[in-house]
Amino acid sequence: MMSEVKNLVFGILLVVALFLAGSSFYVVQEFEQAVVLRFGKFVTAVSEPGLHTKIPIILQVTKYDKRLLDYDITPTEIVTKDKRTLVVDSFSKWKITDPELFYKRVRTEIKARGRIKDIIYSELWQEFGSHTLEEIVSVNRQVFMENVTMRANQKAEQMEMGIAIIDVRIKRADLPEENKNSVFRRMREERKRIASQFRAEGEEEANKIRANADKEKTVMLAEAYKKEQIIRGEADSVAIKIYADAFKKDPEFYEFQRSLEAYRKALTSNNAVILSDRSEFMKYFNASDEKK
Amino acid sequence: MGWEDKWRPPGGQQPPINIPDIKLPDLPPLNKSTIISALMIAFGIWVLTGIYKVELNERGIVLLFGKYMKVSEPGLNWFVPSPIGDVIKVRVEEIKRVEIGFRSSTRERQPNPNAFLEESLMLTKSVNIVDIDMVVQYQVSDPINYLFKVADDDSRELYDRGLEGTVRSVAESALRESVGRTEIDMLLTTDKGRVQEEVRQLIQKILDKYESGIHVGLVQFQDIHPPQEVREAFKDVNNAEEDKNRLIREAEGYLNSIIPVTRGKVEQILKEAEAYREQKEKRAEGDASRFTQQLEEYRKGKDVTRKRLYLETVEAVLENSKKILVDKQTAEKMMPILSFGQDQALMPPGSAGAPTGAGGVK
Repeated sequence: MMSEVKNLVFGILLVVALFLAGSSFYVVQEFEQAVVLRFGKFVTAVSEPGLHTKIPIILQVTKYDKRLLDYDITPTEIVTKDKRTLVVDSFSKWKITDPELFYKRVRTEIKARGRIKDIIYSELWQEFGSHTLEEIVSVNRQVFMENVTMRANQKAEQMEMGIAIIDVRIKRADLPEENKNSVFRRMREERKRIASQFRAEGEEEANKIRANADKEKTVMLAEAYKKEQIIRGEADSVAIKIYADAFKKDPEFYEFQRSLEAYRKALTSNNAVILSDRSEFMKYFNASDEKK
Repeated sequence: MGWEDKWRPPGGQQPPINIPDIKLPDLPPLNKSTIISALMIAFGIWVLTGIYKVELNERGIVLLFGKYMKVSEPGLNWFVPSPIGDVIKVRVEEIKRVEIGFRSSTRERQPNPNAFLEESLMLTKSVNIVDIDMVVQYQVSDPINYLFKVADDDSRELYDRGLEGTVRSVAESALRESVGRTEIDMLLTTDKGRVQEEVRQLIQKILDKYESGIHVGLVQFQDIHPPQEVREAFKDVNNAEEDKNRLIREAEGYLNSIIPVTRGKVEQILKEAEAYREQKEKRAEGDASRFTQQLEEYRKGKDVTRKRLYLETVEAVLENSKKILVDKQTAEKMMPILSFGQDQALMPPGSAGAPTGAGGVK
């Protein structure tokens, strides 16, 4: 009987001891930091990972993430300086830098995000509102994002929430659906212009080549004509010299012979010839009275 | 058991422990030595659960009460088991990928051109819109930073989770930043490679700033084209370029055909001229030779030859002609009349009967 009671008491004590032991240890993971609280009141912060001890029951532990945290901000419409609307989808990287302040001011990540969202929206509005669409898209997105990050972080520091905004990045900054059509229309016109320019250039180039070809042809033919005339001239002069050399041996005979030849050629057929009876040819035709 | 499992990586290698099997019904209860030996067996089994295997493409990150201790290399290893110790395996060799503007699973066969447009449509310089599908391939370069420095929104647990959300957001941001600085024509033609590399470097720079332990190996534009709404207009520009080239080619064809033809013609003209020269010279020489020979004989009997040649000629001329014989007076009267209405050459009486010697002029 006595031993059974003793065993029971011993058992109860053992359970209580185990509970106390379990409650006096806590583990902080490599990526965590912890705040130790006495009934909800801040006592100390622990950022060293590993096994830690605390007074059981009286002290409680709340853990926060130590890593860089992600916050994908809902897209918002922002009006630029040139009164154009952009849908801006951004995200932010932030971290809990001071668990004590964080616990005192914000306590939960969800609340922290709400604050971050307010800060970033207002910074985005301010930054985008002072630049034109073209500048935001093309010129210096990097600088804008750095400016927004810097000022958002300053604000977060001023609010003493124990958080740091490490980076704010614009994931997308695009025109709203209803404005895209005007861009598409402009793009089509631009393309049309380029297309007709190409075609005109093609014709220009082609005409140049053709004109060049025609010119080349004319020049070549003229050149050939020139050479031809030189050759023919030479030939003529050589021939003239040969003829002259031969004929000047007896110009009178040449004249006579050439004339006869000409008659043969010129007076070929079907000519009506009126012959005078006094002509040399007819000398003997009616020469009965004359000498033979 | 349940609470132990919490920190164990999924698919852990620990041998199964079957506590219900260690019932020892034959032993008398509360025997001291029995309890001690039971505890020792349990302890032994617990120690054995500390054996784990690290695959070739992995590294094991060893934690003691959540605190980082060391990295274990591939092979069989042992560390104090849960709940005291823990090992997280990171597949460092594995190439992970993020797809922007499309998903491989929906890309099969008939890709829906309107899928993920909000990701793939973006503004270029001069406020044009372009449609880009991009793939980012990355690897874990530093498993410790990878695990402990950055958290994705949707996965806070400690395991090899790829940090896909972070990489995706950063990639989209970097892509739009680079594309926004580039003209659409450059993107579609020459600058694609340059922008890819720029995006890769930008992603790497941002991820390094986050100390994410990630190395971006490759950024590739799978597809880059004008949006659906303006595609026809862009095609027409290509057609116009084709047209331009065609026109030029045709003109060049004309050039290439006309020059050889002309060269042939030039050659022909020159050959004809040369032929003319040859002919002219040869004929002249021939004529001259003939004349010289005739002259030689003519000189031997001048009068006779002269008369013969004359008569032969008149004979030949008159052979085929109508002859009208008149006396000299009549002939002189008729002449004016006969000169009219007859286009064929006439032999004027004086001429036909031209005396010898200074015969008719040609």
